[in-house]
Amino acid sequence: MVEIITNKLNPQVLPHLDVWNWEVPVYLFLGGLSAGLLVLASGLLLLQKGGVFSHTERGPFSYAVKAGSLLAPILLGTGMFFLFLDLAYKVHVWRFYTAFVYTSPMSWGSWLLVLFFPLSVAQALVVNREWFQKFTFLKPIINLTEKYLNLIAMTNVHLGAGVGVYTGILLSTFYARPLWSSAILGFVFLLSGLSAAAALIMLLAPENEKLMFSKIDMYLISLEGFATTLFIVGGITGSENVREAMIYLISGNYAPWFWVVFVFGGMILPLMLETLESLKKVKFSPIVPILVLLGSITLRFVIVFAGQEFPTFA
Amino acid sequence: MARERKYAMIIDTKRCVGCSACVYACKSENDVPEGFCRDWIVQRVEGTFPNLKMLNRSERCQHCEDAPCVTNCPTGASYYPGDGTVQIKRDLCTGCKACMAACPYDARYIHPKGYADKCSFCQHRLKDGLKPACVTVCPTKTLHLVDLNSNDGEAEKLMEGRTVTQDKVHAGTKPKLFWLA
Repeated sequence: MVEIITNKLNPQVLPHLDVWNWEVPVYLFLGGLSAGLLVLASGLLLLQKGGVFSHTERGPFSYAVKAGSLLAPILLGTGMFFLFLDLAYKVHVWRFYTAFVYTSPMSWGSWLLVLFFPLSVAQALVVNREWFQKFTFLKPIINLTEKYLNLIAMTNVHLGAGVGVYTGILLSTFYARPLWSSAILGFVFLLSGLSAAAALIMLLAPENEKLMFSKIDMYLISLEGFATTLFIVGGITGSENVREAMIYLISGNYAPWFWVVFVFGGMILPLMLETLESLKKVKFSPIVPILVLLGSITLRFVIVFAGQEFPTFA
Repeated sequence: MARERKYAMIIDTKRCVGCSACVYACKSENDVPEGFCRDWIVQRVEGTFPNLKMLNRSERCQHCEDAPCVTNCPTGASYYPGDGTVQIKRDLCTGCKACMAACPYDARYIHPKGYADKCSFCQHRLKDGLKPACVTVCPTKTLHLVDLNSNDGEAEKLMEGRTVTQDKVHAGTKPKLFWLA
């Protein structure tokens, strides 16, 4: 018999750490989605017909570039609002910007977001010029950005990838929560964000652009699936600490959400449907992108919650 | 210049009766709000009657040498003041809880006013040449604050001939609480 009694009563750590609720997974989802949108929109802006990297007569993918560029800063702003809701000391939020702590992913993230906003907004203003140029005060910004649009779009591709990875490695440096202490989590979240972004464009875009995003998403889901496999393999071949945490994820309380909603509903099923769509065997259905988006947000919830429930062992 | 200190705590589990005086001394000394604590007692009983073994352990922040709370704090609020302890600058804290997620010992909590809070080894008392409140109040002389950089031999004397254990060493944080059994 072993019995452990403690009068440790801090409510946030008993019976297990419970510091991050729904706000943080929602932020991680919106941050990843927004990063994915910026990568896709900026990448296509450069690759499409007339773009500086163009080697194809395809495009212009005007809807994806316009909507992606515009939604990226809006969704990130919304995500950051949820992050703000989670802060316990809200009036000190500006303190993120009085320091740069290079060992803290959260600090890197805070400063990356400072770059993300002006650059993504500038790109959004130029590619949606026909709406924004009627505001005369925006004209000088639009004209200035237009001169450097290629450079800004090239930067934005990498900035988006950086923010996408950051939404994952934000959790990776916490050895105390062994499920999270995996570097590949950054890649899983980046690919999930890219796939969710392709799904959102697929959902909103006009018919002629939908099919291409269905194909892009198909490839992204495949990569996401293998990155997730590596995450699981890395976990179960890890130290006892990490292994038990991974076993908890794949067979514990959150396993139905992980396997059914994320793996099957968010990856396998949409991958099959998108392949059939691309082969023109089935008609496009908005259910596919909705499944991908649901899977993507479920992934964040499952990782954040299961990770908190499994602290490092004594 | 005075030499740099490296405070650590040695806790004699053979002397501890689990009275919780350390917990309540700390709460009153540091205005710890109701429902929260900076230190706590763990009581572990094992075996089958009549061969039962009981261990009482007073626990608190480990003031790690390689503290993940300091590494992960995005604002520099958690820091090493240079005396071997880990402290929090409240005016820098945003309440983001990265330190709580990073701590393998669950030593921190969010104060109802918003900032992260934890054991400070009663830094304000150390500055006045006093011992921490928990050490001062302990009726069985279980708790000892020692300076590992000192050559007074206090730490060595306490540990001599005893089994010394530390908690979650595998976390790699170089904790500075030592339990004697």
